[in-house]
Amino acid sequence: MASNDAADKEERLKSALWYSIGQYIDEECLTSDLNATPQFIGALTELVYTQIANTARDLEVFSKHGGRKVINTDDVMLLTRRNDALETMLKQELDRMKAAEGRGEGQAVAGAPAKKRGRPAGKGKAKA
Amino acid sequence: MPPKNAATNAATNAASRKGPHFKPPRPVKAPAQTSASAKRAQAGAAQKPAASATRPSFQKATEIISSDEELEEDLLEDDDDDPMADAPSPARDARPPPAETLPNPIPAPLLARLIYENFEDPNTQIQKGAMNLVGKYMEIFVREAFARAKQEREMNVRAGGISDGFLQVEDLEKLAPQLVLDF
Repeated sequence: MASNDAADKEERLKSALWYSIGQYIDEECLTSDLNATPQFIGALTELVYTQIANTARDLEVFSKHGGRKVINTDDVMLLTRRNDALETMLKQELDRMKAAEGRGEGQAVAGAPAKKRGRPAGKGKAKA
Repeated sequence: MPPKNAATNAATNAASRKGPHFKPPRPVKAPAQTSASAKRAQAGAAQKPAASATRPSFQKATEIISSDEELEEDLLEDDDDDPMADAPSPARDARPPPAETLPNPIPAPLLARLIYENFEDPNTQIQKGAMNLVGKYMEIFVREAFARAKQEREMNVRAGGISDGFLQVEDLEKLAPQLVLDF
């Protein structure tokens, strides 16, 4: 029964993936004057699902090897070790994400003191 | 001036892209939704007549207003852009922007679920930044698969094969080994 449930869950996840990839492929086909057979989308879904499963297991093993319990971005970068172009692309994405994160933190830090300053003043007025 | 032009071009592209995607379903959807809500009202009337009588009318009102607003926005954008932009430039630039603005082929929540389901140790965790990076990685994977399939099809056509413009499983079979080796 348990294995049946697991298989059922996998099928549902694959269906969701099929839908997403189908939408993406249809969208791309519109811009490139092509069509994709449903079989093509199904096969691509299977390929992507297997790739995700492999990636998940790789990441898990990478972080374990590094003596960590939480997967971090270094583990992901290790996925690209055999493809320089891919490494460059992901490095750019990582830098972009870090830059966006830094900006977000800067705003949060700048906003926090202002609130703290505002609250005591409000209390003081209420008491007076 | 150049940045302004670029901005308006982007706006026209966004508008022109929106148009064909959102306009066709509207006339079809609006009546369908209202009829559906009417059905709901009928079904709900058996349970709670007073509450269900008020709800559908509110839903109808909001649906109609929102769709009208969107239409008006589209119209306004078009009106603003038409005198500014040249006719051929949006048509030429229409292709690159979709590639940039297209959403990830695999939605982030779905990918997160798939990743977590495939961990052997259920206690394994993953940083948010790392998950985003995996999302980018899989996005590149899917895009690359599609691009290579397209190329495979074009090569087939050039080799004298009969093409009906359909990507076949055979195209994927040919490209899969190298693709998986590259990722």
